[in-house]
Amino acid sequence: MRDFNIIFAYELKTQLGKKTTRVTTLILVLVVVLLTFLPRIIGLFDSGGPPKAPETAFEQAGYVFADDALRQSLTPLLGSVPEDAVYPDRAALADALKAKDVGVGFVFTDDLRFETLYLDRPPESQTEQQMAALLTEAKKMRLMNEKGVSAEDLALIEGTRAEGFSTVLGRDRLNNMMLAMALMVLVYMVVLLYGNGVSTTIAREKDSRTMEILITSTRPASLIIGKVAASGVAAVVQFGLVVLAGVIGYKLNQDTYPEMLRAMLSGSLTAEYLAVYLFFSITGYIMYLFLFAALGSTVSKMEDVGSATALVQFLFIFAYIISTFAMNLPDSAISVIGSIVPLTSVMVMPLRSAMSTVPIGQIILAGALMLLFVVFFAFLSIKIYRWGSLNYGNKTRLGRIVREALRHE
Amino acid sequence: MKLDIQDIRKSFGDKEILHGITFSVNSGRAMGFLGRNGAGKSTTIRCLMDVFRPDSGRFLLDGQPFKPRSLRIGYLPEERGMYQKNEVLEQLVYFARLRGATRKDAVRSANEWVDAFELGEFKKKKLETLSKGNQQKIQIAQSFLNDPDILILDEPFSGLDPVNAQIFKDAVQRFVSEGRLVIFSSHQMGYVEEICDDVTLIHHGDILLSGSLDAIKREEGRDKLFLSALEPADAWLPALLQAFPGMTAQRTEDGAILDTGGQPLQGALLAYLSGQPVTIRSFGLYEPSLTAIFIRKAGDEHAGL
Repeated sequence: MRDFNIIFAYELKTQLGKKTTRVTTLILVLVVVLLTFLPRIIGLFDSGGPPKAPETAFEQAGYVFADDALRQSLTPLLGSVPEDAVYPDRAALADALKAKDVGVGFVFTDDLRFETLYLDRPPESQTEQQMAALLTEAKKMRLMNEKGVSAEDLALIEGTRAEGFSTVLGRDRLNNMMLAMALMVLVYMVVLLYGNGVSTTIAREKDSRTMEILITSTRPASLIIGKVAASGVAAVVQFGLVVLAGVIGYKLNQDTYPEMLRAMLSGSLTAEYLAVYLFFSITGYIMYLFLFAALGSTVSKMEDVGSATALVQFLFIFAYIISTFAMNLPDSAISVIGSIVPLTSVMVMPLRSAMSTVPIGQIILAGALMLLFVVFFAFLSIKIYRWGSLNYGNKTRLGRIVREALRHE
Repeated sequence: MKLDIQDIRKSFGDKEILHGITFSVNSGRAMGFLGRNGAGKSTTIRCLMDVFRPDSGRFLLDGQPFKPRSLRIGYLPEERGMYQKNEVLEQLVYFARLRGATRKDAVRSANEWVDAFELGEFKKKKLETLSKGNQQKIQIAQSFLNDPDILILDEPFSGLDPVNAQIFKDAVQRFVSEGRLVIFSSHQMGYVEEICDDVTLIHHGDILLSGSLDAIKREEGRDKLFLSALEPADAWLPALLQAFPGMTAQRTEDGAILDTGGQPLQGALLAYLSGQPVTIRSFGLYEPSLTAIFIRKAGDEHAGL
């Protein structure tokens, strides 16, 4: 235990003391804070007034009317239409557009039908919808007059709404989705970032021949568990700061967030979900760290780390894919299996738990399997680390490494 | 303390590297562990340090099983390495603490040895910023940390300049004089002759000789005389061998080593030579150098003597 403490403290200090760790953390914190302030920043540039009047959109417009009667009936709606904005036919209007005399053109065939002409259509253009709304409203008013319906009656009719509310007994998938997804991505980042970090640290120890001094000074179990624990805590510190920055930013700015976004961020995540999330993500993270550590000790050169850890990275990416599948179909057979098998349950079980009501038996089974796998991979990792300390040079197949590592003692 | 290495065998795959090696190391007497490249020195040391598990045999310290992690051992592996990106003093303190020192003692010991190797100005530097020679000194310093009772050093002189080699020799001799157990492997026979009281020679995984260096030299020089003259050996050696049948000779650069085959010929030889046209430069009992013993014992087909 004494050696574990020494190794843990040294590794943690080394990891947190790295300039790259400090700079990365600072950048992540700043990005998260900026994101949380984004609605407020956008609000500073928003005039806050009513939506732009339709006539603004029709500035520099050209018109073609099927006949004079139609022109007479529509002119009051369009505001002042200068004489030179009216063209005899569609072709003339098109020429004017090409010559950039007008910005947009309307060809009216009757009081409800029109064509909009653009030279280049801007992506955010609402012109067509605004014109349609204008004509519809005008037609409605004319029909009301003809039928003798007052504006108040129409408002009463149109204002009639049925009201209902929903009570979610299980999981509110809509509201939970964003937060669950964010937490899943957090686990994904932490595992890959710190997993590769552990592999690299151990490979570097082997590459620089520090390993022989270490294993003659203390037990391999203390070394590997100390390193994994230090990586675990470093990740909690680094990403804890990022999450804390996000929470503080959210609390400071939540009044500027749209209601829907607020509902999604606060979600209806329960203590039960958080317990499942913390258990599976932490134990799963530790399990993957042991795997990365074991693979890091199988290589002799730093440049081989990537290829050695490719298998476990692929496994983890597979877990990520299953979890995105589980987001839409949380109770499908694949999702259920994925949430129980430890290599994938690290991400699938928390996600299923957010999106569906998972039977407690499945959670307990998955949790027990996860703990077993953590212990097994820790044991295997120690054996492979010890094996790795004796073997330099030729690459060996993983299956053979495991067999030799288990036989070594 | 007495360390007994008893009948150690070690194979890698189908190839046996150590064929049942046996020798002893006593505290207060530095042991030089000699052998050609690939003879099995580092494998023996790694087995001793429990880096490799021997297939059979045992290591005993004062009759008890030798457990390196429960003893205060300073170890310098053949392939040295430390954390390149960490500060010098910080990692020395770490290694000392892993070997059982308290933080206070670890800091004191690390400072002491960094200063002893005249590297005080680099304490707060990352190892990778030091020159190769200074890195080598730091790596040697780590083996002296925490006041070890036993020093096991694999090729400690490799890469050291004469000044630093002297610092290292002084440190080892101090440890020996304090009654500690010291064993080191080396190719540099001059240093071994200066420091070691005992030597063990391993060759192709077998121990060829082991014991007191003086005794080995006496044994290797027994019945041999050394004759050196101003004239080349071709001018006088054939006649000498004719005059003393049963005597054999091996030429050297400046004379010849005469093997009397156990006959007391010293006086007769002198009398004979005084009547010959030979200007004697030196004549006396032959005491071989360690290099000569090494080459003769482990030189195989390239033996020069």
